[in-house]
Amino acid sequence: MAEITVRNLHKEFGVGADKIVALDDVNLDISGHVFVSIVGASGCGKSTLLNILSGIETPSHGQVQITEDGRPAAKGYVFQAARLLPWRTVMDNLLFVQKDRSEQTRARCQRYLDMVQLGDKGRKYPGELSGGMQQRVGIARAFSTEPDVLFMDEPFSHLDAITARSLRAELQNMWQETRKTVIFVTHDVGEAVELSNRILVFAKGGHLADDIDMPLPFPRDVADPEVAVAKANVFRTFEQIGALAVS
Amino acid sequence: MSATDTRRDTGPADTAAPDTVDELPRRRRSHPVVRVLRSSLAGRIAFPIVCLLVWLLAIRIVTSIWPFAVDVLPTPTQVFSFMWDELTGETLAPRNVYETFGISLRRLGIGMAIAMAIGTVIGLGMGLSKRVNAFFNDWVVAILAMPNLAWALFCSLAFGFGDVGPIVTVVLTGIPFVIINVREGVRNAPTDLYDMARAFGVSRADTIRHVLLPSLMPFMFAAARYAFALGWKGLVVAEVFGGEDGAGWTIKFWYDAHRAYGVIGYALLFVVFALLFEKFLFDRLSGYFFRWRPEVNAADVVEQRFDAPGVATATATADSGNGTHATTTGPKPERGAGGDETRRSHDG
Amino acid sequence: MATAVASPPTSAPPRTSEEERVRAARRRDRINAVAWRLAGYAFFLGLWEFASGRLMDERLLPGPVDVLRTFGELWASGKVPGAFADTLTRIGIGFAIAFVVGAAIGILMQNRLLNGFFRDAVTIGVTTPGLIWALITAIIFGNRPWGPLIAIVLTTFALISVNVAEGIKALPKDLIDMAKSFGVGVVRRNRQIVIPHLAPYIFTGVRFGFSIAWKVTVLTEVFSSSSGIGFEMRTASQLFRLPEFLTWILAFYVFALLLEKVVLEVIERRFFAWRDTIKS
Repeated sequence: MAEITVRNLHKEFGVGADKIVALDDVNLDISGHVFVSIVGASGCGKSTLLNILSGIETPSHGQVQITEDGRPAAKGYVFQAARLLPWRTVMDNLLFVQKDRSEQTRARCQRYLDMVQLGDKGRKYPGELSGGMQQRVGIARAFSTEPDVLFMDEPFSHLDAITARSLRAELQNMWQETRKTVIFVTHDVGEAVELSNRILVFAKGGHLADDIDMPLPFPRDVADPEVAVAKANVFRTFEQIGALAVS
Repeated sequence: MSATDTRRDTGPADTAAPDTVDELPRRRRSHPVVRVLRSSLAGRIAFPIVCLLVWLLAIRIVTSIWPFAVDVLPTPTQVFSFMWDELTGETLAPRNVYETFGISLRRLGIGMAIAMAIGTVIGLGMGLSKRVNAFFNDWVVAILAMPNLAWALFCSLAFGFGDVGPIVTVVLTGIPFVIINVREGVRNAPTDLYDMARAFGVSRADTIRHVLLPSLMPFMFAAARYAFALGWKGLVVAEVFGGEDGAGWTIKFWYDAHRAYGVIGYALLFVVFALLFEKFLFDRLSGYFFRWRPEVNAADVVEQRFDAPGVATATATADSGNGTHATTTGPKPERGAGGDETRRSHDG
Repeated sequence: MATAVASPPTSAPPRTSEEERVRAARRRDRINAVAWRLAGYAFFLGLWEFASGRLMDERLLPGPVDVLRTFGELWASGKVPGAFADTLTRIGIGFAIAFVVGAAIGILMQNRLLNGFFRDAVTIGVTTPGLIWALITAIIFGNRPWGPLIAIVLTTFALISVNVAEGIKALPKDLIDMAKSFGVGVVRRNRQIVIPHLAPYIFTGVRFGFSIAWKVTVLTEVFSSSSGIGFEMRTASQLFRLPEFLTWILAFYVFALLLEKVVLEVIERRFFAWRDTIKS
């Protein structure tokens, strides 16, 4: 079971007058097979938190620990843009992040490609696929390493509404099937409500403003009245804590 | 145009065929025959015809003034029959055209291989380290700005007749382009892909093999293309002065024999040969290497870059470092400097 | 909360020192860059000096000191200014013709028919090596003065044409329309919009053109001329005087480099400063 512990996490960029505090004294505990969404206006440090959790960036100070049954957890990542190697085929992109290139691994990659309905596109180059398909490959790549924790950084924000919706449904299914711990960053409250069973709200200045449980049963649909009510509640919380962007 | 790309806010699109004038709405529909006569194709066809007419006319006028000039001015028939003889293997020169170009090509190949090897190492170093960049930068610019005539003459004097002089000339002409392109490739490294590889814990060796090297490929390819085009020019100059065979030497042979038709005919063969090589070999290779780029046909991109003078050669070679500024102001303000340097060396 | 309140005062003092540290680091970087650049000069000049006489025969590869000394001798003999003047005149005349021809073609290329007509001419002009023009003109004209001039024109006109055509193609139609809508007359429109817009393109063409023109000029002089840098180079190489040969080419090279890098670039920066400010 994956355990994420964050203690007194602090992160700033730049020096002197240009200094920006991205995260300010963040404390967090996440454990088990949960789908955690991090929401907030742009510039509130949510992507920074994700980057620190995934190890792309290092904290200014504070501790981050991610373990699976006591050992360091394996991580997977889905980026905002798909970040596929344009010069490798879809299958080779999946193999690129694997520990080995055995037949078993290939079969596993193929299975995850099938899961995102791109089973027949393994020999294509990313440039030959649409944006939605590329993002699907990104998702399949993240799942195919069978990570303990999966990080997603606004993976659907570059896609059109219809594609994003079908991908969200697919993601829900995959999460149900695989039961990973997912940390999902988004600025779309509806998306967070639809997908997650825990929502962390970040406010400007990089502090954790609220931590909301979402006990509704899966699968959820944005059209369900219960989901709509929950979404309205989250928005209300936002207003109360002043976390909404005053843009 | 690399020359102007710095301050242009328009994208590469407007550097495409200049026919855009056609689409101006003010043009009224005219008679089809008139339209054909006014089309750009008509102009293209007219060009060689007009050239031939001017040529013949010039001979007519000049010989009517100085009758003795007949020997000096070659007629088109002389030139073309000379070219035909050469192509069919009949020649007065010691070697036929195929052997000659074979010899030159071998030298060019060796020189380019050396230039690519050394240039890649230095370019990598300059892209990765500011210090290495400061160390080499001015000297790369200096070598780039040196006329190939200087290399050719110097090598012919220093190394005597034979293979060494021409090969060294090719290396020295080609190496700055390789260095500049590789450096630019390193500087334009896809950081998002490196982050991705790191997030997935991909090993360093795999990252180099699957991310770094493929991302450098387009730059290496541009480098090879330039090294070929300019190395070829440098090689010929070197062979003129310090060869005992090869294309340059053969042009000089006809020059020394006072056969103007030979010089012009050989020059034409030479230009045609370079263009064919460029079009067929490099386009094939680029089609193969960049097959992963379906949206823009990579061949076209590189092609435009190289061929049409109006297109930025600079994407790959930008910031070649205009000596004094590259290290201090960073790439952005100096964009186009690379184009400068590149363009600048398109001389003889 | 307590930590949040406590943290600003503790972080305030180190912040300034941090700022200083960064500034110091930047200064160190700059000094480092200069030091490495000097090291580069020392290394390459040293290598050159070392190679001459040790790796290669001194008569084949004269070192930098030899070259400087030879330059002193040549200067004392009084040949230098004359040769420079001859070559520069040739570049000046040839380049002026090339500029007029090139600009005219660039303007004419706005027409569709003429565009097709000149397109191949420009391609040939850009791709044909200067050597070939030099040889052809040399064999046809011998050492009559217009041989080199024609070679210069043929090798450089295309660059000017390309730049002028580019500039015209990129004319800011929106600005011109704006001026029209405000009722600004043709003359003022040209002076305030068209000419300032074209000037940088033309200037860039001049800069590139010059950098090629001087090389071609020297090349043609090597084949067909009885004066100028190229002629001196030919003489020196025929007499197998390498130091003299190297000195001639290096002297003119440094001169041309100074002209194009320093003079032309300073002019460009002064006159077209607005382009950079617009960009940033």
